[in-house]
This record gives sequence, structure tokens and C-alpha cells, in this order.
Amino acid sequence: MKCIRCKKTACVALPSHHSGFCKDCFPLFFTKQVETAIRREKMFTHDERILVALSGGKDSLALMLELKLQGYDVTGLHIDLGIPKSSEKARKKVEDFCSLHDLNLRVFEMEKWGLPIPDIKQYVKRPVCSVCGKMKRHHFNRIAVEEGFDVLATGHNLDDEVARLFANTLRWDTAYLSDQGPVLPASDGFVRKVKPLFRLSEFETANYAFLKGIEIHSDPCPYASGASFTNHKEMWGELEYRSPGQKFQFYQSFLKKGKPAFANLEKEVGVELHPCEECGSPTSAGVCSVCRIRAAVQASKVEAGVA
Amino acid sequence: MITVNLEPDGEQIEMHNTRSVIAVLNTLKLRSTMVIVVRDGELLTADRMLKNGDTLMVRKVTSAG
Ligand SMILES: [Zn+2]
Ligand SMILES: [Zn+2]
Repeated sequence: MKCIRCKKTACVALPSHHSGFCKDCFPLFFTKQVETAIRREKMFTHDERILVALSGGKDSLALMLELKLQGYDVTGLHIDLGIPKSSEKARKKVEDFCSLHDLNLRVFEMEKWGLPIPDIKQYVKRPVCSVCGKMKRHHFNRIAVEEGFDVLATGHNLDDEVARLFANTLRWDTAYLSDQGPVLPASDGFVRKVKPLFRLSEFETANYAFLKGIEIHSDPCPYASGASFTNHKEMWGELEYRSPGQKFQFYQSFLKKGKPAFANLEKEVGVELHPCEECGSPTSAGVCSVCRIRAAVQASKVEAGVA
Repeated sequence: MITVNLEPDGEQIEMHNTRSVIAVLNTLKLRSTMVIVVRDGELLTADRMLKNGDTLMVRKVTSAG
């Protein structure tokens, strides 16, 4: 297969775009997709300060590098979850990557904040992944707001978005279906959230990461079973293989036709938000769920005689 | 013979009489849009031919969790 731009031997074949690219032209294609996402969805401008959530996975690092190369004002934020071995590895990967490419980075440590994830696993009876996700979103938003960032960017790709949309659709979860999308506008206490990689598949970000020398080996979280999400991705991968372009179309059609309908439905049941009495983050209760979980873990530790 | 290092599983597989990337992927029951294939640091598309003694890294792109 030849590169569609320069006719050299292609290294990435993209059936959904009826094209293939060589190692020099593929990053240009990638850049164009990110530019299109930012422009069409009005994600942010070159005058705004962007906080990028860096997990250590290929997608978030690829996003951070690409935005920097496009001349945006980006700062990375990594949350050290305090999981033995796994968190140290992820953190080192992020730190090495940022110093190699001269990227601004700050790290927030769950342990210093008094709630490493292993404590949640031990003392909270809910699935650790959902609580951990809640914690991460809380701190990303809080730090973005407190430090005056205009927007929070995450490395979610098309496969992440489609897998989540599909899971929400299986449950007909109208609340999620009413506001899932590549841009979540700022609203009382929440910073604007954007996903500049939403036009790119996991396959495309993996190729970009490889070509840019991003170490793509990332260990999955030791606590994650991750089964259903991975199953959905594999199922969609098969669908996409049989009819290229299907994934993007499913997502785009949802944004155009599904989301507005669900948003109308939700308008009638929307809840009012107030600042949390403890931390000031927006919540529908007096004290937000993150502060309540933190207090509950502390109480359990005192009871168990370890704190 | 072709040597395939399958990632992230860390498995090594040897294949005989295999002449193309697509043949390797078919044997492994993997889709070309769900893995990246690397030989000597170079990404390969599924239509590329292989020669005896080649070592491939085949990595699934789906991240768990
Ligand atoms: Zn080219
Ligand atoms: Zn709070």
C-alpha cells in the first residue's frame, strides 16, 4: 500500500478513510483530525490556558504532545493514586515524558491528601473503579477551577466514547445520554471539559504514539476488571472491521439526533447545585460525595485503630 | 520461520510458511485495525510481505479499564 499523500510505502492503513499514510504523513493526518475537532466543536483558543489530564496512558500523552506542538498553552496534571508499584510506574512515565518534551507538569498525590486508592478498596464497599473515577474527576475539576484554567482536556478517543455511549445506551441512562459528548460547557463550579481526540480511534492514537516514541506499554490498573468495557470495544472493533466508518457514524449521529432529544427530556428533572460545605465543589447535597467518602474512610480507620 | 512477540500478553509464537502480515494476523485471529505490527522499529500495514527470520511485534491497541 502506498501513502495517499506522497506515494511512499504506507505504514498505517485506514480503511475508514479509504487511505494509508507513511510515517511522515500519518502525523499530519492526526494533527488535522485534532485541529478539526478543536475548531468545529469550539473547544478552546490559543489564548486560553488548558489543563490536560495525564494518566500515563498513550492517549493522554499523545494529546499533551500534540497540543503543545500546535502551540497551545498546556499544563499536564497527573494524579498519583497511591497504588503500590502501579502508581509509581505511571507517575514516572508521565514525569519522564514531560521532561523529555519540556512540558509543564504538576502532580497531585492522593496519599498526601489522605485518601490513597488502596484505602478506598479496603474501607468502602462500592466498586473501587467508580469511586476512583469520581475522585479523579473531582480533583481535575477542582484544580482547574482553583488555578484559573479555562478548560480541562482529556485523552478520550473515539473508541472510549463509543464504548461509553454504548454502555449508557444499553441502560438507557438518560442523564448520561443527555450530556455525553466531546465538549461539556462550563457550568456552576465546573470547568469546560473537552476531548480533542474524539475523532481518532484507539488504533490511530496507538500508531501516533508509536511514531512519536511514546512508550505505549501501559499496565492496566491492578484493581480494574475492566471486562465489560473491553468487551464492548472488541465488539465495536469487529463491527468497524466489517463496515469501516461505522463507529464514527454511530457517535456523530448520536450527537446530532440522540443527544438533543435526551437533553430535552432531562431539562424537566435537572437538579440544582450548590458549593460543597467542605471543599466548595459543586454538589446537589450539602457535602459532596467525595468529601463524604473521605470522611467515611477516616472513620473506618479510626474504628479499626489504624488512624 | 517468523517469530511473533504478542503484546501486551508477552507471548512468543513461531510461525512457518507465513509470508505476509495479513497471514500472521489471520492465524492469530486478530484484526488489522485493532493491532499495530512492528518489524525492526518500523510499522507495517497488513499487505506487507515477510521473509524468513523476521521478528514481529504485534500489539493489541485496546487499553483495558
Ligand atoms: Zn507520505
Ligand atoms: Zn466536597
